[in-house]
Amino acid sequence: MKIRASENRASGRIKSICVSMSAAALLALPAGAALADSKDGTFPTADQVGGQVYTDPVGVGKQLPLDFDAYDMDGKKVDLADAIAGKRSMVVFFISAVPVSVEELVKIENYARSRGKGINLVFVNADTVGSALQGGPKMAVPNTVKTMHLIKKEQKLQTRQLFVAPNDALSPTGVSNRLGFRGLPTSFVVDKNGVIEKVFVGPQDWNKKGAI
Amino acid sequence: MSINRRQFMKNAIAAGMAGTATMLGSRSAFSAVHDPVGEAQADLFRKFKGNVVLLPSKYGGYVQAMDLSTPETLAWYSYGLHGIDMPIPHHIAAMPSKDPYKGFDFYQTMQPPAAPYVNENSPEWRNRGDFKMFKMRYDGSGKQNSITVVNDIGETTGMSLGVHVSIGVGENANKYVAFADGQKDMVLITDIGDNPKIVKAFRADYDPVARQLNISHVFPDSTTGKFDYVGRKGMKTSHEAMLGEELMPADPTAVFVDAFTWHPTLPFGAILIRRLGCCAIVDTRTWEVVSLLSTAKGSPDNFPLVKQTGFTWTFAVPSVLTPLHEAGFVTSGEYFVACNNVLQNNIAVYRSTDENPNKWKKETFVEGFGTKYLPLHMGNVPDSRFAFFTMWARKPNNGYICKVDTKTWKVVAKWDTGPDPHTCDCTVDGKYMTTVYSGHQAGQSGLVVINIANDKIEARLPCPGGMHDHVVVPESWEGLKYSRSTSV
Repeated sequence: MKIRASENRASGRIKSICVSMSAAALLALPAGAALADSKDGTFPTADQVGGQVYTDPVGVGKQLPLDFDAYDMDGKKVDLADAIAGKRSMVVFFISAVPVSVEELVKIENYARSRGKGINLVFVNADTVGSALQGGPKMAVPNTVKTMHLIKKEQKLQTRQLFVAPNDALSPTGVSNRLGFRGLPTSFVVDKNGVIEKVFVGPQDWNKKGAI
Repeated sequence: MSINRRQFMKNAIAAGMAGTATMLGSRSAFSAVHDPVGEAQADLFRKFKGNVVLLPSKYGGYVQAMDLSTPETLAWYSYGLHGIDMPIPHHIAAMPSKDPYKGFDFYQTMQPPAAPYVNENSPEWRNRGDFKMFKMRYDGSGKQNSITVVNDIGETTGMSLGVHVSIGVGENANKYVAFADGQKDMVLITDIGDNPKIVKAFRADYDPVARQLNISHVFPDSTTGKFDYVGRKGMKTSHEAMLGEELMPADPTAVFVDAFTWHPTLPFGAILIRRLGCCAIVDTRTWEVVSLLSTAKGSPDNFPLVKQTGFTWTFAVPSVLTPLHEAGFVTSGEYFVACNNVLQNNIAVYRSTDENPNKWKKETFVEGFGTKYLPLHMGNVPDSRFAFFTMWARKPNNGYICKVDTKTWKVVAKWDTGPDPHTCDCTVDGKYMTTVYSGHQAGQSGLVVINIANDKIEARLPCPGGMHDHVVVPESWEGLKYSRSTSV
């Protein structure tokens, strides 16, 4: 069985977006603020996570932040910056819990193969699957890596650069708050220096797009 | 072998069981409702006579009907009997019954195990469990009580939804029941028949680029008369959002529709949209979406309708200052109350008496909950003098139940009932508030009964199995107004 909902999403696909400025990129934590991931059960205030529920992704012309924890398909910690160093790249953040997110990976691969001009693809699962019944928090990365292998096999993905970047949405320093996304997939096209050229929020009609 | 009363007495006396006679009240232990006369706890629980409480076990896969006045379980049903591998009974609503000991109907939803607390979105769990809605029946008319499935509503309608269920009241009494689901962002309204007919269905989708919300009627296939949303079909996310997960990346269109609540006096209902901190008000005469309330402090009272194209209403949602969880009406219908949480922890209070919901205004907020306690559920009382709220907290905090004076909208009492508190529901006489806590589905858990007049906890009963919801069977359609209808 595939990890997908079979629903044909007839409603219009979400258009691409190029955001000029990001509130998330400008996050300033109040000194001594209790963080959402603290041990006392605090939830973040709006100003700690970009001012509101929906924030704009880090925008065009900005350096794509990649200085957060990430793991490869062996569960080993890696530096994501190495995956894009010196190469024009498309970094796709997705979430295995969302069917449309998983389905998009194959479409992006096909598009990149035909019109990507040799772009370097990097797929990042910005989530961890449940571990409550399977060994606790220490198993979050191994279990997510296992899921990633399954996705790669079931979706017949060719991309070798698949990573897990555990996200704490309630932490101001969490991946989604750093990069300012609430909907996945969100894809960043960056130049060889890691500067963002384009941002695509949500699934795209890649058939209608020109070359990246 | 049947044992009649005379034979039982003969045997008891022969065996020298002193005091046996006092054990046999007007109804013996062999009838379908136990009479606890002479038992040590009888005096304590007698005051709860007439209250049958339905308790679905999220982790245990069953539902029980409990007579609060004995207390005893009158009957229970394991949803595994319906062929579901790992059923997760989720939310519940009961139809009115003049004598709940004799019989009543109720509705139960369930969801797959990739749900909060069971959040195991890993390969081994993918195919377990299912989205379901059942119409159920309790029969206490004979010597053996029973709970049976009347209708598998998901299969009947072709739309399976797994979160809140609420029954119409007021102008919608004895007509409709509503189901909702935030993994599919859909609401289904059916009639209350044993073979339910589709009345209307809605779907909500957010466009994060245009920052607009589209709420559409969805229609069944004209050839089959059914939808094609059975099981996981139509699912946007593989698990129901936990509290705070409104901030998590998800399907960009996902808004986490959680429930539909009914106005007790006017022909309106509200679609609760967690992630957008909004409630779409629907005219239940036409099923048109007539207003989109924005419940956050600092936001306008409502967001504007941008356009209506056929059966789709498009609203501008330029900013979302906070998610909400539940929202509903007080019993009188005078106020619509919304539990904002995560980014703002307050309770918005709209006056909801105008026949044009676009004129409903936020009059005040219940505040002071800090950053650890999230307003979650609401419990009503018959005279609307108070409203009870569940203040949820994540570990290591317990959370609490609070009582709010609806004249001042101030908290006047609070109780730490136990970790992971969930729904509140009033007894049929309006004297007590029942509430469950599920210990984050793992630890301490139980059912607590609070005296509304003197704020004393009158009783506490063990309740294993992750009780995420419960409901007291109401005695009438008026009684349903302070049950699972106006609020959830």
